[in-house]
Amino acid sequence: MRNLLVFLRKHYFILLFLLLEAVSLILFFNFNEFQNTAMYGISSTFTGAIYRTFRNISEYFSLRKTNQTLVEEMARLHSRLPDAYYKSDAYSFYRNDTVYQLQYRYISAKVISNSTDKRNNFLMISKGSLQGVRNHMGVIIGNRIVGQVVSVSPHFSWIISMLNKDSKISGKFKKNNQLVNVEWPGGNYRYGSVKEVPKHVRIQEGDTIITSGNSDIFPEGILIGTISEFTVVPDENFNYGTILFSTDFNSLGYVEIVVDLMRKEKEDLKATFKSE
Amino acid sequence: MTTSKVVFNNFLRFFLLILIQVLILNNIYLGGFINPYFYVYFILLLPYEIPGGLLLLLSFLVGAGVDIFTNTIGLNTSACLAMGYARPHIIRLISSGPDSLIGDSPSLKNQGLKWFLYYSISLILIHHFVLFYLEAFRFTEFFKTFIRIALSSMFTLLLVLISEYLFYPKEK
Repeated sequence: MRNLLVFLRKHYFILLFLLLEAVSLILFFNFNEFQNTAMYGISSTFTGAIYRTFRNISEYFSLRKTNQTLVEEMARLHSRLPDAYYKSDAYSFYRNDTVYQLQYRYISAKVISNSTDKRNNFLMISKGSLQGVRNHMGVIIGNRIVGQVVSVSPHFSWIISMLNKDSKISGKFKKNNQLVNVEWPGGNYRYGSVKEVPKHVRIQEGDTIITSGNSDIFPEGILIGTISEFTVVPDENFNYGTILFSTDFNSLGYVEIVVDLMRKEKEDLKATFKSE
Repeated sequence: MTTSKVVFNNFLRFFLLILIQVLILNNIYLGGFINPYFYVYFILLLPYEIPGGLLLLLSFLVGAGVDIFTNTIGLNTSACLAMGYARPHIIRLISSGPDSLIGDSPSLKNQGLKWFLYYSISLILIHHFVLFYLEAFRFTEFFKTFIRIALSSMFTLLLVLISEYLFYPKEK
């Protein structure tokens, strides 16, 4: 026992170091599983308040950009109003469209913290579970992709940005519906990579990639980006491409969270299939 | 300097550097390969006479302070601990003896440019190595991460040197 104490006293510096390092590494590897931990709820109330104060000041510097986004978005919505459609007197008819049920609802939220230069980037937004944000909801801006909600506290939410090594979005070519995976390899925040493009799919620069709608997170047809470079690999079964993201991740002021009203129905359906 | 003043200065530096890091430096985009982690300046400037346990504890706290803001629990903490652990060893390695250390804490003014460069470069590199490799955690990105470490360390060092010249100017 005495020897042990002597040993501890002599080597306490390295022992304490190993203990603390072990604690932080365990925390690092467990927290990265993107679970809604109790620790997050406590800390985000505090960090969120600080971020929000800072953001309230700094958002004045990006008003021009925010305005531009809003105007573009408004133009897009205007073009979908009934007034924007050509009305023909001669062949007017009435179509009952009550069979079309609302599936997506959108919650707008302010971005209060954002980064684009880390290997793994996250955003914090100023809406939380009290406003109806839940885990695994998709996040978009206009009709362009941003990321996915990974953690929710009453007033704030963390979003894993597309610019993260754990983000893997299921996309497809707009022209022929071929499925591909889109990832971000790090480095420049404007460019991502498209992997596992089957050999027979013909790709050209400028091809648009949109969300496939297969993942329950994003509706179909949200813009991911356009192909900017394309590599044919002779010896493998798949080709690779570089994609220019449609979203400017460095200037996100406001985002929209996609609430899929039929998500539960879809999940229940899957669950019944599994249990049988 | 009295003990209470040293404690107060470090206390102030602790919060100020964390806020500068998470509110300003984390929001500046420098080409995707440069992420300065200037808050390590806090660990660099701790007094020589600090007990080992306290040094590790403060390294842990400053890392955790940045981590809770960036949702990367354990990442900065691990890197700071490695840096805190290496600090006494580095000081012993590059100094000729305890008598050669002038003043309470490391500074460019007291120790000269050469000593201070050795000291800060080695500790910043240790911190950045642990941080960037843990963050990427992929072998396929080995060289890319290496470039990020080199560029970011240079930038962090630049910020440290600028603040040394700004806040502790040489007396003429």
